[in-house]
Amino acid sequence: MRINRITVWQYKMPLTEPYYLSGGRLKFEELDSTFIRIDTDEGLSGWGEACPWGHTYLPAHGPGVRAGIETLAPAMMGQDPRALDAINQLMDVTLPGHPYVKSPIDMACWDITGQAANMPLWMMFGGAEAKPVAVNSSISTGTPEEMLALIEKASAKGYRTHSAKIGGDDIAVDIDRIEAISAGLPKGELVTFDVNRAWTPGVAIAVLNSVKARDWVEQPCETLDQCGHVASRVDNPIMLDECMHDFDDHLRAWSMKACEGVKVKPNRVGGLTRSKQIRDFGVSVGWQMHIEDLGGSALADTAAIHLAASTPDANRLASWLCHYHLSLDPVPGQGARNKDGFATPPSTPGLGVAPDLNMLGDPVAIYEA
Amino acid sequence: MTITAIHIHEVDLTSHVTYNMSDGKTCDTVKSVVVKLDTSTGVSGWGEVCPIPHYLPAYADGIMPAISEMSPEILGSNPLDTDAVMAKLDAYLQGHVYAKSAISMALWDIMGKVSGLPLVQLLGGKVQNDMPLYHSITCVDPEDMAEMAKTAFATGIRQFQVKLGADKNNEADIARLRLVREAVGNGPLVYGDWNCGATPLNATRVGRAVMDLDIMLEQPCASLEECASVKRATGLPMKIDEGAHDTASLLKAYELGCLDAVALKINKFGGIGPMRKARDLCLHLGAMMCIEDTWGSDITTSAALHIGASTASSHVLNVCDLSSYVAPRIDESAPERHKGRIACPEGAGLGVTPNPDVLGPAIKTITL
Repeated sequence: MRINRITVWQYKMPLTEPYYLSGGRLKFEELDSTFIRIDTDEGLSGWGEACPWGHTYLPAHGPGVRAGIETLAPAMMGQDPRALDAINQLMDVTLPGHPYVKSPIDMACWDITGQAANMPLWMMFGGAEAKPVAVNSSISTGTPEEMLALIEKASAKGYRTHSAKIGGDDIAVDIDRIEAISAGLPKGELVTFDVNRAWTPGVAIAVLNSVKARDWVEQPCETLDQCGHVASRVDNPIMLDECMHDFDDHLRAWSMKACEGVKVKPNRVGGLTRSKQIRDFGVSVGWQMHIEDLGGSALADTAAIHLAASTPDANRLASWLCHYHLSLDPVPGQGARNKDGFATPPSTPGLGVAPDLNMLGDPVAIYEA
Repeated sequence: MTITAIHIHEVDLTSHVTYNMSDGKTCDTVKSVVVKLDTSTGVSGWGEVCPIPHYLPAYADGIMPAISEMSPEILGSNPLDTDAVMAKLDAYLQGHVYAKSAISMALWDIMGKVSGLPLVQLLGGKVQNDMPLYHSITCVDPEDMAEMAKTAFATGIRQFQVKLGADKNNEADIARLRLVREAVGNGPLVYGDWNCGATPLNATRVGRAVMDLDIMLEQPCASLEECASVKRATGLPMKIDEGAHDTASLLKAYELGCLDAVALKINKFGGIGPMRKARDLCLHLGAMMCIEDTWGSDITTSAALHIGASTASSHVLNVCDLSSYVAPRIDESAPERHKGRIACPEGAGLGVTPNPDVLGPAIKTITL
């Protein structure tokens, strides 16, 4: 089986509510997503999606996805899409770095491989059943009362794991938020205080040693070294996210005891193949993981849910679904959707999701063998 | 004073000699991206970035989308706020430092022109009139490489980078190092560069087979830990290139004990400001610096020469006249090598005047 065509669509998806990132990293109102379809000489096609969270969150941006695919596409022609390690190796030699460009190609190749094997991706990834995956809420930063009210609302919808965004300019307010949520959160529910890199190590150590915070603290500082230093000085388990770009970062985080868990996001690390390697490593060292994508429609969400569903319960925390924040649904009703706080991956072969071509409109590029 | 327009040109640079590295990486004709920033006062600044394909996390066709993405932040900024503008861009588009490199270079060019000073003076002043060049020898048959070394030696070159690993043959790599050392005699610097293409085992085997010689190794493997283990096992000094690209990686290489020498390349670090920071840190850490860029013509070559000339000669390993490796020249009047050494340009800013016929029309112009 050989790849003979890659078709690329740009698809802008407005957010239902504007989203603000900490640290002055702008407000944005829509996501610039790229959908690709890889066609083969045997008639099977696979879908992939790359949707960086704007351009201020990670070293990734929408136009860069499309420029990178243009550079990679000629090398992909004639390759067997089922040879996933070889495909990834070829992409790494052809274009070092730029994992966010490679993720949709890898995803589409997995879709084809699953279809060719007549197996859903959760099974290809080692899962025994289409396990429902707990969905993670996303609680915007606000006053302690506002945040508790949002948690209560999410709780009523079935969410049991909450990601509470903290890390403002005022340390005292962060302490209040942590105290109020730690005291007010019902037993049996879980919270991660997600700092999104906002603290310097000194602030992180000061805040976290001034309060008794429940559960997890996520990405307190910018770099892995800084987070590792904080981890050695505070009680809470630490979850790492933005500072983890490749396998080496995960190996280093483990050897320096910087965390007890990571977020596994295919677009950040370069696709499902790389994510699976990290997931498997995480399982072997006893990490707990949130497996979800950076952003995107229910297509990218579903790809991540396949990987999450195949992960042992003990190592799997809840997954956030980006498509809930979007006002367009280019894969109408398909894929893993939130039902009472859980999302279940499809059991049809491959990814089990394909966009509505009428919604995507005209492709922006077609590369052919 | 504000930036009013960004012009982007592309120039295909063809190597005089096709350049082979490990893992089939080659450099024959590559695209260089030249950026011109116009300002409200009529002063313009030039920048250039030319990534070698498959070498670092950078590619030529990624530059224009990144600059276009950043253009709302670039246009309207005061170009004299060199570091502040770059900090703004770092917040706006994370990473993509290679694209930012051209912008940074152009800002410093403007800064120099407005102040009437050459870049070398803005970076601390000229502490050496000219710097030693190295000659990079493409990975071909060992005998041919020894001949190339002899030819370069005759022109005054005293530092030789021997590319290894293109044929995945340890015996050939050992012969390359032995024959080049023989060809240039004792004294000159000879170092073998795998460009990340070796495993620690193979690099150690090759290194131990030439332990009796005065040889330095360069970036045998991808990770700094692997490079450090090769240094420990061979006892040979180590130069880091691909593995060093920011403050954290320089410090890590230093802590691992493998930062005897390092390649500071402008677009790997992200422009003039980050290079100055890296240069000052390396002075502190005692690392010998090769000050250059990945590839390119006269604009980026000149920028690197200014940085080199402002850096203490005790810590400058060498510089590179990239523009002599490729055609066409973007500025025929830019400095050229003389007896194995080269000076930085005179004149304000970068001191280069690109030839409009070589640049051709801008392929994209972005204005306020």
